[in-house]
Amino acid sequence: MTVMIKLAVVGATLALAGCVNAPPKSDFSQFRAESPRSILVVPAINKSVDVNAPDYFLATIAEPLAERGYYVFPVNMVRSVLSDDGLSDANLVHAGDPHRLGELFGADAVMYISIERWDARYAVFSTSVTVELTYVIKSTHTGTELWKNHQMLVYTPQQNSQGGLAGLIANAIAAAITKAAPNYIPLARQANAQALTTKGTGLPAGPYDAMFGKDLADF
Amino acid sequence: MSAGRLVAVSAAAVVLGACATTTQKYNWEKYDPALYSYYKNPTKLADLNQTLEAIIKSADTNKAQVPPGIYAEYGYLQLQAGNAAVAVSMFEQEKAHWPESRVFMDRMIKVASIPAPAAAAPAPSP
Repeated sequence: MTVMIKLAVVGATLALAGCVNAPPKSDFSQFRAESPRSILVVPAINKSVDVNAPDYFLATIAEPLAERGYYVFPVNMVRSVLSDDGLSDANLVHAGDPHRLGELFGADAVMYISIERWDARYAVFSTSVTVELTYVIKSTHTGTELWKNHQMLVYTPQQNSQGGLAGLIANAIAAAITKAAPNYIPLARQANAQALTTKGTGLPAGPYDAMFGKDLADF
Repeated sequence: MSAGRLVAVSAAAVVLGACATTTQKYNWEKYDPALYSYYKNPTKLADLNQTLEAIIKSADTNKAQVPPGIYAEYGYLQLQAGNAAVAVSMFEQEKAHWPESRVFMDRMIKVASIPAPAAAAPAPSP
């Protein structure tokens, strides 16, 4: 009986969630308590097979993060300085103490990104490009996790609607081109935008944004 | 245009409007593509330098806002090219615009102010 009621309640909640079309709101209490002004983005951990993915990704993250209202440390300079200090291995940096990074750079928080997928799956007549990312922000003062987000975006080029052999050939050509030079950057940009700005799960507006401290209903 | 079509168009506009990002706070020029090109092909360093210069210049001429990190990025490229004096002045600019960068910039100003050892390789001749 209790199980039945619980199920009914869960069902109703799901239905409501469906109506407002928004994911459940994340817990922002830690984030609000610390209210970081500055974020240090360290090079991403790479779980994909593309060795260039972390650098390519790094080029996309500073702009949306700064536009959200935070001071973002110069990403390319930080990458070089860490490398000069013998910290070119992103896995070591991610496993290290955020407090130490806070001391070195004077940052309030560190953003750690893990590239879960960055690949193109090729079939003769269609190809799909996938970018999957996990974002974590940790406090350099307390070491606690302040915010987390996960995004997976898949792009499949428009199938040619032309029938017959000509259509199949056109699709095969499109798939081959996508395979030869898959463009992950638009997907990465889209993932960043969704991760940072989606109400309920994104990043609250930072101190350089007009909404700073006024968006408590949304975040 | 029929009323039905008009409604469909405005609905689409509303949806797009909801998705569109608000106007940008900063003038980024082509920072993201230039950095991407540089990572893809390190010989594109000059393009990245030009992009950073353009952002800084447009702030002087158009009063556009220089994004966080840009003075520092430019200063660091100058430091790597052996122009320590320019690097220091850029790090000072970053610090003046963004107090959050003070610890890092003070550290880098110290690094840039150490006289280069005589054994250091001179700038490559053209």
